[in-house]
Amino acid sequence: MKENFIPEPAVIREIITQNEQIRTFRLELQDKTKAFTFLPGQFLMLSLPHCGEAAISISSSPTALPLIDLSIRKAGKLTAAIHEMKPGAQVGIRGPFGKPFPVDSFSGRDLLFVAGGIGLAPLKGVVDYCLFQQELEEDSVLSMTLLYGSRTPSDIGFQETIKNWQEQGVDCRLTVDIADEKWQGDVGLVTDLLDDCTITEKTTALVCGPPIMIRFVIARLSSMGCTDEAIITTLERHMKCGMGICGHCHLDDKLVCVDGPVFTLAQLKTMDVMELG
Amino acid sequence: MIDLKELILPKDNLIPLLRKLKKEARLIAPVQNAYGDTLFSEISDLDSAHIDLDNQPQSSLKPFLLPQQEILARYQVDKAGYTFTPPEDEQETIYFGVRSCDLTAVLYMDLIFSKPVKDTNYYARRNQSLIITLGCNHPFANCFCEATASGPYLEYGYDLQFIDIGDCYFISAGRIKGADLLDQWSYFFREVQEEDRKARYQLLLEARGKFTRNVQVAHACRRLQKEPDPEAIWEALSRRCYDCGGCAYVCPTCTCFSLDDMVLDDTQGLRLRSWDACTSSGFTRMAGGHNPVDRRCHALKRRFLHKLKDDFARHGKVSCTGCGRCIDICFGGVDITTFIDLVTAVEAS
Repeated sequence: MKENFIPEPAVIREIITQNEQIRTFRLELQDKTKAFTFLPGQFLMLSLPHCGEAAISISSSPTALPLIDLSIRKAGKLTAAIHEMKPGAQVGIRGPFGKPFPVDSFSGRDLLFVAGGIGLAPLKGVVDYCLFQQELEEDSVLSMTLLYGSRTPSDIGFQETIKNWQEQGVDCRLTVDIADEKWQGDVGLVTDLLDDCTITEKTTALVCGPPIMIRFVIARLSSMGCTDEAIITTLERHMKCGMGICGHCHLDDKLVCVDGPVFTLAQLKTMDVMELG
Repeated sequence: MIDLKELILPKDNLIPLLRKLKKEARLIAPVQNAYGDTLFSEISDLDSAHIDLDNQPQSSLKPFLLPQQEILARYQVDKAGYTFTPPEDEQETIYFGVRSCDLTAVLYMDLIFSKPVKDTNYYARRNQSLIITLGCNHPFANCFCEATASGPYLEYGYDLQFIDIGDCYFISAGRIKGADLLDQWSYFFREVQEEDRKARYQLLLEARGKFTRNVQVAHACRRLQKEPDPEAIWEALSRRCYDCGGCAYVCPTCTCFSLDDMVLDDTQGLRLRSWDACTSSGFTRMAGGHNPVDRRCHALKRRFLHKLKDDFARHGKVSCTGCGRCIDICFGGVDITTFIDLVTAVEAS
């Protein structure tokens, strides 16, 4: 049976508008008997009628299954098309693909999340997953801090989520590049927020955002004493198959779709990646 | 070399044997067309087809096992929803007259399409194939398979290997499927005599001495494993690359592909897999236009390092089979042998 490239039908149950550019699409597999699970950091290949496929990271935690969130910024043809869709519409998914964040190694760690823009999407699942573990008091993390940078106050996504996280004890600090008259918070790059952070040997930093942001945040974390193994990021690359065959995300002797997209800085340093400049 | 079976096929029996095989399966062989081009083609009529075993086929088996464009699924958008249907099953195919380099390329494709996930569409075709190779007694002008350890004769991997020893073929069965074929049609063959073995060995030694190109593949590989990437070479080569993708298309081991949907009408379409080339600028470009690879200086970097460095690190062997097809296709003169020559010419740092 030639089944590798056949997507599984899924239904959009809910759409949450994060800002003008980003919406979260809450999906559920049409066939509820189908076994499906994943870990934070993994991604799906999303199919839309007449649009083909795109690689999208899962922004929810597996603890929220059977619902699966995809937070999508309007960037190309497919992403623009899903922004026009309504709840009840049908899409196709293949996956999950890729290596997840090493969530099993987070117990007893202080997690420092550094995100820019849509970069919060793949990290969101990790925060939700760790909060769930904390509630169970099982292998839980010591603390969670989020540094989140957006271009302007109206670009800040996931506001509802961030409010909930704060109530659950996640230390969330927001900054914008350009303020408006109503903005009371920090203004400046997300790296500036690192000034008030302490890095210890218990810190694990999870970084995701535009390549230029990743580069400067990593450099700053390293200078603050964070080790290469304790800095984790996730790369975005053009992908077609998602399963290590098509070659598009080839990175030296690695393939981002199977060896990543989650990499430690120690791993990245062995490769020629633009995120490190 | 361990073979399951060895026999001799008198040349007069070749066409009668192929006639029998063609009754049971689709038969593909190198055929010279009206324009003088030799291409692997399906044989519809053995009496009229000009099976050309003297010239190097301009194409490899890649277009058969990984078609230039392939339907992966048909999709439907209607009241029933958004549904996909896989394509039909494949038919049994016998490939005859395949050169050692091209069989080596098939073994490489077997690897790529099986790890970490088995590509069901590729293997649907591969499992229905039987490959009969023809050892090369006369390497062609651009050949360097000896330097890539993929010829002129093969040690393993074929179902059957034919070696032309004059008025007959020395035949070795490397896999069960090949041995079964010999059993099934045993009356076409005779037993191997000592002089057949001697003739075969003599021809192999002579073939090895007939290569005209000296391409230092092993030297280049060792250097690429140990030394920093040769940045100056990329820039020099990239200036002469015109982004045509020809090298990747004729290459029997270039398997990168793209997936796209083709809309047929409002309610249906096709999901297609098509050949792609990592040398082209759009290969790594993401939605929104961002591109992590600077093509001006790195147009050829991926392709050459993938074949000579990364695959060596990942699989323990290079993925260039020395077929030499990219040499004639590149009008910029920046084929893989140019790169190997430049890498090996640099003084050790």
